Amino acid sequence: MTDVITIENLVKDYGRVRALDGLNLSIAPGEVHGLLGPNGAGKTTTIRILLGLLRPTSGTVRLFGEDPAAEAVALHRRLAYVPGDVELWPNLTGGEAIDVFTRLRGGADRSLVESLAERFDLDLRKKGRTYSKGNRQKVALVAALASEVDLLVLDEPTAGLDPLMEAVFQECISEAKAAGTSVLLSSHILAQVEVLADRVSIVRAGQTIETGTLAELRHLTRTSVTVTTEQPADALADLPGVHGLAVEDGQTRFEVDGEHVPIVLQHLAPLGVRSIVAHPPTLEQLLLRHYGTGDGVPSASAPRPAGRARPAEPARPGHTSGATSRSGR
Amino acid sequence: MSAVVGARPTSPQASNGRPSGPFTGTGKLLRFMVRRDRIRLPAWVIGIGIFVPYFFTAFETLFPSEAELAELSAFTSGPMIGLLGGPGYGLGEGLSYVTFFTALYVVYFMLAAALMNILLVSRHTRVEEQTGRAELIRANVVGRYAALTATLIMAVISNAAVTLLVLGGLLAFDAPTSGSLLVAVGVGAFGMVFAAVAFVCAQVSEYSRVGSALAGAVLGGTYVLRAAGDMSSEHGNLLSWLTPYAWSQQTRAFVDERWWPLGISAVVSIALIVLAYRLSDRRDLGAGLRASRRGRASAAPWVTNPIALALRLHRGGIRGWVFGLVVAGLVYGSTTGPFVDSFADMTGTMGEMFTTGPDPVLGYLNTLMVMMVIAVAVYALLAVMRVRAEELDGRAEPVLATAVSKQAWLAGHVLVTALASIVLLVLACAAMGLTAASSTGDWSLVGELTVAGLVGAPAVLVIVGLACALYGLSPRLLPIATVVVTFSGLAAFFGELLELPEALLAISPWHYTPAVPGEAITAAPLLVQTLVALVLAAVGLLAFRRRDLVAT
Repeated sequence: MTDVITIENLVKDYGRVRALDGLNLSIAPGEVHGLLGPNGAGKTTTIRILLGLLRPTSGTVRLFGEDPAAEAVALHRRLAYVPGDVELWPNLTGGEAIDVFTRLRGGADRSLVESLAERFDLDLRKKGRTYSKGNRQKVALVAALASEVDLLVLDEPTAGLDPLMEAVFQECISEAKAAGTSVLLSSHILAQVEVLADRVSIVRAGQTIETGTLAELRHLTRTSVTVTTEQPADALADLPGVHGLAVEDGQTRFEVDGEHVPIVLQHLAPLGVRSIVAHPPTLEQLLLRHYGTGDGVPSASAPRPAGRARPAEPARPGHTSGATSRSGR
Repeated sequence: MSAVVGARPTSPQASNGRPSGPFTGTGKLLRFMVRRDRIRLPAWVIGIGIFVPYFFTAFETLFPSEAELAELSAFTSGPMIGLLGGPGYGLGEGLSYVTFFTALYVVYFMLAAALMNILLVSRHTRVEEQTGRAELIRANVVGRYAALTATLIMAVISNAAVTLLVLGGLLAFDAPTSGSLLVAVGVGAFGMVFAAVAFVCAQVSEYSRVGSALAGAVLGGTYVLRAAGDMSSEHGNLLSWLTPYAWSQQTRAFVDERWWPLGISAVVSIALIVLAYRLSDRRDLGAGLRASRRGRASAAPWVTNPIALALRLHRGGIRGWVFGLVVAGLVYGSTTGPFVDSFADMTGTMGEMFTTGPDPVLGYLNTLMVMMVIAVAVYALLAVMRVRAEELDGRAEPVLATAVSKQAWLAGHVLVTALASIVLLVLACAAMGLTAASSTGDWSLVGELTVAGLVGAPAVLVIVGLACALYGLSPRLLPIATVVVTFSGLAAFFGELLELPEALLAISPWHYTPAVPGEAITAAPLLVQTLVALVLAAVGLLAFRRRDLVAT
C-alpha cells in the first residue's frame, strides 16, 4: 500500500533563507505521526507544502501518491486541516465558518458537527471576532473532525485549549485512528504526542534529525534509575554508560545509556536491591537533547559539563517545564 | 473589606491622602499616549500642514499670473466648486491664490484633519478596550474618565498643532492674517467636531471598527449633504448649514469675514463630548451600548462554493456601498434642476466647461456620472484589498486547504467584485437619473443615466482586472492600483486644466469611456476595455496560481 505522505529531501528557500534543508517524512496509512520540533524548525512550512500552498524549491513530495500542488483540489477532498493559528471571519459565526469549511471540502454530517460542538463545549452562534483563541481553535477542530477524510493534518491543534478540551481532543483523535484515519500531528505538547503518536519525527533547522516509533527513539537515550541498596552503590559510577550518579538519603540516582542497561543490572543485583524505580526517558528529554545541542548528534547529548559530579536530575524538571510552557503559548 | 464600612471618606481623598476621582491618572495616561504616538501624530500633523506650501508652490508654477488663475476659476465655479470644494466664496472679484486655495482646497485639509481625529480617538479609546489593554490600565490607580480625558487632550493638542501649521503656511505665503486665522481655526475646529463625533461613536459598539466606520459614515454623509447644498444654491443653503463643513467654510475667509459659524462647531463639539462622557457611564468597560448579537448556528444553504463564499464575505460591504452611492446619486441628481436654472445666468466661459455635449444639462450629468465611476473604482480597489487581507490575515489558508483551488478562490472574489461594481454603478446612476428627471421634468433622463452606468462599467472592470493582476503577482504590488485610481480620478477633473500630456491621460481607464449621457455610444472602446479587463484578470489568476501563498 502506498504511503499517505512521502517527503524526500525536501528543500524550501524563502529568498536567501533556507526554511527546509533536505527534510524527510513518511506516513503509512492509518498511522498517527507526531511531528516535533522547535519554533522555526520548518513544521508549518512542510505542512503548507503538503497542502500545495507553497511550492518546494526541490525534493519530492507525494500526498496519496500524487503531487500536492498539481492535484490540490482532488487531494484536499481526502484531508482536513487545522492550522496552528486559526483566523476566522469576524462577521461570520463559528457555525457558519464550520459549514463553509466542511461544504467546500465536500460536505459533512450536520448532526456530527453538533455533537462535536457539544463535546468541545463550543457555542456555534457566536461571531468570529468574539471568539477567544481557544474557541477559534475549536471551530477549526470541529470542522476538521466532522469531515469524513482519510488524513487529518493538524498543526499544533490544541494550542490555547484547556486541559479538559485537550482530553476531548485526544479522545477524538483516538476515535479517528480507530476508524483508520491517518493523522499528521505537529505539536509542542509532548504528552499529547506520547499518548497519540505511533511514530515520531523530530525536525530541527529544516531537517529530520530523528524518526521512528517512540520505542525506537528511546533506545537512543538514557533511563533514569533510582535505587535503594543494602551496600553502597558508588562504584556503579565507573561503569560505562552511567552518568550523573549521586547518593542522597540512602538513595542512589543515576542515568544509564540504553544499551548499557543489562550490565548495570548485573552489577546492581549483588548489592542487595531493596527498591528500584526506572523511568523511560520522556519525549521531553528526547527533545531537550536535540534542542539543547548544536548538531543533534546523539553522542553530543547532555550539555552538562558541570553536571557530571552533581546529579543532573534536579535540573531537568526545570528545563522540562520551561519547554512545556513555551509550547503552550 | 468590612473595615471600609463606616470609614467612608467624606471628601474624594484616598486613604493615602492623594486625590482620587474619576479623572485620576489622566496626566500619566496622556504622557503614555504621547509616547505611543510620538511618530504617528507628528506624521499626520506635518503631513497635513505640508500641503499648504505645496499647493501654493504648485499654483505659482501652474498659473504664473492671476489672470491665468481667473480663467481657471471660471472653469471651476458654480456646481463644480460646490461638488469638489465648498460654498465658493472669493472666486469672483478679488480672486487671488489665497481665495482660490480657500474655495477649492481647504476642504481636503478639513477631511484629513477629521480622519486624523477619528483614528486617534478610536485608537486610544475603543481599540484599547477591545484588545483588553484598557483593563490592565484601569486596574491601576486610574479614574473612569481618565482615558477619555487624556484622549480628548491629545485631540485638542493635535488640532491646535494642525491649526498652527496651516496658519504658518498661509502667513508664509503672505496671506492676510485675519483670513488665515479663520481658515486655520476652521480646519482645527472641523477636526475637533469629528473627534467629538468619534468619541460618541466609540461608545456605541464594542468593536473599534464599527465605531470608526460610523464616524467615517458621518464624515462622508455630511459631505454629500454639503455638496448637494453648495451645488444647488450659490454659497450653499440650509443643507450645507446642517453639516460641520459649513461651520468652517461659511466664515467667508478673505472675503467678508465672520467668526460666528465657528461658534456652532464649538457648541456641537462640547455637546457631543458631554454626551460621550454620559454614555461611557452607562456601559461597562469593554461593552457596547448595544449588546453584540448572536448569529445563526449554520451557514445559509446557498454558501456551498467559492463564489458564494466570496459573496457572503463581501455582502456587508456591498450593502453599505449600495446605500451610500444610491443616496449620493439621489442627492446629486436633485441638483440638476437648480443647475438648469443657474445656467441661464452663466457666462460664455462657463458653458465651455461642458464641451462634451451640446446640451449643458447632459454635460453636467456626465460630470456627475464620471464621479460615480471613480467612486465605484474606489469600491473595487477596497474590495480587492479585502481579498488581500484574507490572505495576509491567514483566513485564505484554511479555505485553500479544502477542495478549492487557488484560481477558483481568487476568481470567486474577483467575479463578485466585478459584478458588484457593475450593479453599484448602474444603481447609483439610475438613482441620479431619477432625481435629475424629477427636478427637470425630463423623464428620459432615467433611462439615459441607467445606460450611462452600464457604459461606465467597463472602465471600472479595467481597475478590477488591474488590481487582480497586481495582487496575483504579489500582494505588495496592489498599491500601484491605488496610484492609478488616484491619478485617473484627478486627471478626470483637472487633467485638461493642467494640460497633462495625452500620454499621461491615456493611463486613465475612463479617459476612453464615451461621455454619456450626451455623446453617442460607440462599442469599440467598451469592447477594448472589457478585453483589457479580462486579460488583466487572467494574468492575475495565472500568477496567483504559480506564486506561494504569503504566510503569516
